[in-house]
Amino acid sequence: MALAFDEYGRPFIILREQDQKTRLRGLDAQKANIAAGKAVARILRTSLGPKGMDKMLQSPDGEVTITNDGATILEQMDVDNQIGKLMVELSRSQDYEIGDGTTGVVVMAGSLLEQAEKLLERGIHPIRIAEGYEVASRIAFEHLEQIANKFEFSAANVEPLIQTCMTTLSSKIVNRCKRSLAEIAVKAVLAVADLERRDVNLDLIKVEGKVGGKLEDTELIYGIIVDKDMSHPQMPKQIVDANIAILTCPFEPPKPKTKHKVDIDTVEKFQTLRQQEQKYFDDMVQKCKDVGATLVICQWGFDDEANHLLMNRDLPAIRWVGGVELELIAIATGGRIVPRFQELTTEKLGKAGLVREKAFGTTKDRMIYIEHCANSRAVTIFIRGGNKMMIEETKRSIHDALCVARNLIRNKSIVYGGGSAEISCSIAVEAAADKYPGVEQYAIRAFADALDAIPMALAENSGLQPIETLSAVKSQQIKENNSYCGIDCNDVGTNDMREQNVFETLIGKQQQILLATQVVKMILKIDDVISPSDY
Amino acid sequence: MSAMMQPQIILLKEGTDASQGKPQLISNINACMAVADVVRTTLGPRGMDKLIHNEKGNTTISNDGATIMKLLDIIHPAAKILVDIAKSQDSEVGDGTTTVVLLAGEFLKEAKPFVDDGVHPQNLIRSYRTASNLAIEKIKELASSIEGKSLEEKKKLLAKCAATTLSSKLIGGEKEFFATMVVDAVLAIGNEDRLNMIGIKKVPGGTMRDSFLVNGVAFKKTFSYAGFEQQPKKFVNPKILLLNIELELKSEKENAEIRLSDPLQYQSIVDAEWNIIYDKLDKCAKSGAKVVLSRLAIGDLATQYFADRDIFCAGRVSEEDLQRVAAASGGTVQTTVNNVVDEVLGTCDLFEERQVGNERFNIFSGCPSGRTATFVLRGGADQFIEEAERSLHDAIMIVRRAMKNSTVVPGGGAIDMEISRYLRQHARTIAGKSQLFINSYAKALEVIPRQLCDNAGFDATDVLNKLRQKHALPSGDGAAYGVDINTGGIADSFANFVWEPSVVKINAINAATEAACLVLSVDETVKNPKSESAQGEAAASAMGGRGRGRGRGMRRR
Repeated sequence: MALAFDEYGRPFIILREQDQKTRLRGLDAQKANIAAGKAVARILRTSLGPKGMDKMLQSPDGEVTITNDGATILEQMDVDNQIGKLMVELSRSQDYEIGDGTTGVVVMAGSLLEQAEKLLERGIHPIRIAEGYEVASRIAFEHLEQIANKFEFSAANVEPLIQTCMTTLSSKIVNRCKRSLAEIAVKAVLAVADLERRDVNLDLIKVEGKVGGKLEDTELIYGIIVDKDMSHPQMPKQIVDANIAILTCPFEPPKPKTKHKVDIDTVEKFQTLRQQEQKYFDDMVQKCKDVGATLVICQWGFDDEANHLLMNRDLPAIRWVGGVELELIAIATGGRIVPRFQELTTEKLGKAGLVREKAFGTTKDRMIYIEHCANSRAVTIFIRGGNKMMIEETKRSIHDALCVARNLIRNKSIVYGGGSAEISCSIAVEAAADKYPGVEQYAIRAFADALDAIPMALAENSGLQPIETLSAVKSQQIKENNSYCGIDCNDVGTNDMREQNVFETLIGKQQQILLATQVVKMILKIDDVISPSDY
Repeated sequence: MSAMMQPQIILLKEGTDASQGKPQLISNINACMAVADVVRTTLGPRGMDKLIHNEKGNTTISNDGATIMKLLDIIHPAAKILVDIAKSQDSEVGDGTTTVVLLAGEFLKEAKPFVDDGVHPQNLIRSYRTASNLAIEKIKELASSIEGKSLEEKKKLLAKCAATTLSSKLIGGEKEFFATMVVDAVLAIGNEDRLNMIGIKKVPGGTMRDSFLVNGVAFKKTFSYAGFEQQPKKFVNPKILLLNIELELKSEKENAEIRLSDPLQYQSIVDAEWNIIYDKLDKCAKSGAKVVLSRLAIGDLATQYFADRDIFCAGRVSEEDLQRVAAASGGTVQTTVNNVVDEVLGTCDLFEERQVGNERFNIFSGCPSGRTATFVLRGGADQFIEEAERSLHDAIMIVRRAMKNSTVVPGGGAIDMEISRYLRQHARTIAGKSQLFINSYAKALEVIPRQLCDNAGFDATDVLNKLRQKHALPSGDGAAYGVDINTGGIADSFANFVWEPSVVKINAINAATEAACLVLSVDETVKNPKSESAQGEAAASAMGGRGRGRGRGMRRR
């Protein structure tokens, strides 16, 4: 690439290694960028909605992921194009903030770009388009607020929450037991939610999966599951009303951190050392017994000697429990993590109503359930499924559902799904467009067209006639002046989304529109791409 | 090489490229113009962005002149001057980096025909210097002061300045929102000269509107050990202890070795070690502090110890953040836990751990000294937030500048038109060649409004003529008229609150003139053959502002 030529037609060397760089500018750059953005959106388009298809992705080391979660697909695709990466980040942002609607946001951005391309061809300045989009996104944002419904729920009446979570789950592979999964998700979120501060710390919900069984066996446990077994096979498999000592120190003689050496030159000395070591073990176990612990959970391991001793003294123990799990156990049982035997006191023990080891099917795998905890602020969702891919996908789906439930606790407003909110926004934006003088009017109208892409894709994925269906629904919305007519993806026979109970969170939808507009603006604003030419 | 075609006396080492005279000067000017062309389209509210992608795979999307110039990695010696002035403008005033490059390019472009016609460059340089002095005088005269206004009013005025800067950026759509934030932040740190008291934290996710300003300090939750979740996450009026020591069970001396002859002593060594750490922790707890922060690690033992005593702790807090907390809370960073008296403890109204997007943030707000502020920026993509950060940086600099030298001039090309008019008028009073040169200088200044129009897709000639007419009104009423970016017409920039601090313009004109003069004064380049292989870098810096020659002798393959 050369920026300038001298009077003999030779290029100036202005940039470092400029032969190896390529530069794209002006309309060409915009077209290329838009094409890249559209390409990414096209991939996700078929994943949208309850009848959306899944993608199979194979990682370089041969691991296979099957999913229809937009953020996951894009993440695994390893997009190289710069504009493509922006789309990936767009989807990730939606994932971070809302947790759901990651496919929708990309499809929407793609369709905004598609519309922008048409306007660019007509010679409209890209910034004017972006400004028009921004105006339109604000109109849509406010319109969503108007059509949103607030609904009340309490700990006793969680039906609306479940319905909304079901909408999210219906597009996933797990939709055959969406009802039970949605219930699990809602219960889990309510268990850890701080309703006063409207804050939900999702870290307190542990999602654990194990291959085997069927999806229907997935359950919510008010407590913790640890993928470990008792340290000694002969230890009791069930402990009622357990007092748990949660230790981060190993069952072994303490070691000073400073380098040390013990000089042993006589047999007697060796004997004393040996005795002392034994005494340590003895003391430790005794200490646990003294404070009344009936179960020891230890972050580190302990050797056979200690194990044997514990067994003899009738003190069941679990070893090698990870730090995060340990913390969750401490929270759930109301105990304290004890770093040193000397600190162990009765108050620091955690309490659990039932601790049991459970074996699965014919496998030797066992897991430990810690249930009926004193403080059930930490819960576990335990997923069963036929294979690993299924479990991974279920985990992602549950995560989406959890996020939706969390968002509803933060903000109670919902809009109707099935593309009805988009259609309603599209109508509102279209109507508002005429009030704007200037070039922006075209951009605003284009925005309205772009909004139609989501219901269109929904209809297409459901095997309906996209244009026919969309126009029918749109005219119905205008005629009846309602905002809850959507695409009847499941062929229920009605397109009244209230009857179908298809809800989405208001903040999720608003976020989608704002984020998509932002990124599209960013892409439109670029008129010069300088990159190394091997890309 | 064409130099070889004619017989010549060999003075320099074989392969040395020496070019001189007028053609060399012209070639330097051409190179500078090419560079100015790159940033040309980024000017103004309808300016476009550049996407620059380097070999390492980093992508930057930016509208900031200095950033683009830096990333272009220019090696042409003459063109490098433009990079330098953009950088200097950036560090001096923080904004107007595109303007300065554009002006320098335009000055050179205007000079080119004169050089072609055989005018001696020194003549041009002299006239340019005179013109720039006159222009700066005129700016000072035209500038209006915002001194002596009430705080409320001043805040509004500063916000206008910030909004003008932001309008050309990606976050232009929310300029009012950010402008108020910037002004609040700058006012919060007061006259403090340390810019690092304003922290900018970036959290991907959410929309721009979710960005917020913390009147205090905020940082991302640090790595934590088991037991952290059991600590309380909210305090009202906590005492804050800031440390620079490790709170971990470790060997106190690196190379010490203990030899034990009696196994019974074993326990005592272990106990001694534990006592050291417990002693430290006890002292922390006794000081009454409810929040303990350390630049170094706080281990799992300490985490659990603090959790037991309802104290919040965070280890591995970055140096910058710790300093900010210290400044904000009025505490001092301790390197020992001995003698922790109340005076060294900081405090704030509210400490809280809050969820921001996908991250948890520790937020200290309502700090007594209030000399810090932290932006938490949100946005849809990393590049987006990066660019937002750069834009905010510009806006912060502008507001700070405007606070110090509190004079402003109308933007939107108005001030440039006015100076241009003034110089033209002045030129007519001069006899001699200088008249022409000052006239062309005046013409060059018009590039700002012209480019604003071009970028917005307006008819530049039409708008410029309208502006000239306004500015030529004998009453001087039209002096504040600039390009109206919304309608494609002209409007009173001053009344529309399109304001820039005058120091931005003064510095831009000064730097651009200097750069133009520097390029004009070079008439010979001697290029050492060795530097060819070193790809210019060493050569360029050693040769300073020397031009590269006529683009000859380049080995292209």
